[in-house]
Amino acid sequence: MTRFRRWLDDTLWGPETAARLVVVHVGLSLLIGARVALGSYRQLADTPRALVDPVPLLFWVERMPPVWVFVALQVVGTVAALAAAWRRSPRVTFAVAWVCYLVLAGLRGSRGKVLHNDLLLLWASAPFLLAPVGGAAARLKDAWRSREPRSAWGWPIRVATVIIVLVYFLAGYHKLRRSGPEWVLGDNMRYVMLWGPSIGSPAWGDLARWVGEHVWAARVSAGFILGIELTFPVVLVVRRVQVLYALAAAVLHVGTWFLLGLDYWAWAITVPLVLVDWPAVAQRFSTNRVNSSAKVRRSSADQPSMPSAM
Amino acid sequence: MATPTDVTEVPRTARWFVAVLFALLLVPGVVGFDTWPLTGWRLFSALRDESQNRWVVQAVDGSGEARIVSLEELPLGYRHAEWPMADLPGSSEAHRRSVCRALADAVVKVRPDTVEVQIAEDAQRLVERDGEWVLTHDPEVEATCTPRRGEQAS
Repeated sequence: MTRFRRWLDDTLWGPETAARLVVVHVGLSLLIGARVALGSYRQLADTPRALVDPVPLLFWVERMPPVWVFVALQVVGTVAALAAAWRRSPRVTFAVAWVCYLVLAGLRGSRGKVLHNDLLLLWASAPFLLAPVGGAAARLKDAWRSREPRSAWGWPIRVATVIIVLVYFLAGYHKLRRSGPEWVLGDNMRYVMLWGPSIGSPAWGDLARWVGEHVWAARVSAGFILGIELTFPVVLVVRRVQVLYALAAAVLHVGTWFLLGLDYWAWAITVPLVLVDWPAVAQRFSTNRVNSSAKVRRSSADQPSMPSAM
Repeated sequence: MATPTDVTEVPRTARWFVAVLFALLLVPGVVGFDTWPLTGWRLFSALRDESQNRWVVQAVDGSGEARIVSLEELPLGYRHAEWPMADLPGSSEAHRRSVCRALADAVVKVRPDTVEVQIAEDAQRLVERDGEWVLTHDPEVEATCTPRRGEQAS
């Protein structure tokens, strides 16, 4: 087997612990449930027929469905997502929640504009539709006991990671292909910031304006964004930088909300959820706590006993 | 020592499913077309500068003054009306009328003194005046209609 083939196999089908699979599966379920439950969908029922332009997935939709259809999709999707998180028939309930989310996001996008807000979560969740969530990966308690990483549990996480990497890389690739280095080196980001209030409702409009009025700040921001996107594939080769990229992606999308008022919260949460090995982080945290409390006990045992005040 | 990858643990159906997923992600992703939920991921890829053309809806009051109505003032279903409006040039008379009428029905609720609704392509420009960024407009009317009392498309 060639070195490249070994790397490819490990990247796509590499082993992970059952605990990590359960944590990501539960996290994605809760995130999908939150998007389905809290999204502004019902209000779309009033969209006039002339303004409805169905996404290709929902090509048969001529007009927005009535309110009760939106509510039914939201209720079913939310209950299914919660059931998946609570490990009740997790494979089926996850699939039901994912489909409800897909349809609701598709209806929201059926107004002419291509919306990407929900797409990363939908795409990154797709491998989990076939994830082995029975056996040791059925419940977190059982999964926590099973320490040995296996490919059977690892592949959904590894594939979701590759999907995330490709999405960011393609976003950077199209910036470069369509606009070239001017995307960073020109006035592009200045005007993205200055136009900001006209495309969203920024929470921190003054900062957007400040960046727009300072060429160096605009270019640094643009360089950060394009740099992150184009170098994202590094995480597939140097796995220890996954945490850094997860953090950078979260900063990017939270920043987008503050500066431009655009809702990329699903992206900001999905990336760290998939890229960070949370059970390992929790284990390291608890080990450090045990070690430091043992150190405290040792150092207080070494100290001479205090003389009695009496 | 790290556990080695064991591809045989991954079901054949899962491997095929993943192959299909990657094909669906990569083909539109590399070519750059949108067939939602398949997409080209062209997020903010176009260069922005001080000017841009936007499609706007204008409310004309009794004195003949036309003022742009922000789509943010209208209900959620109307917020992305810029895209249907952008499709108006070259579309059928019936479609132009129905888009204009749909917008007029919503506009008249937030601007009751509206006597005419205009759909226009607005050449907008950001200019700095006395330390403030001001948006200048140069709308070119594409379609007009009169709320409730019938309509005409120009």
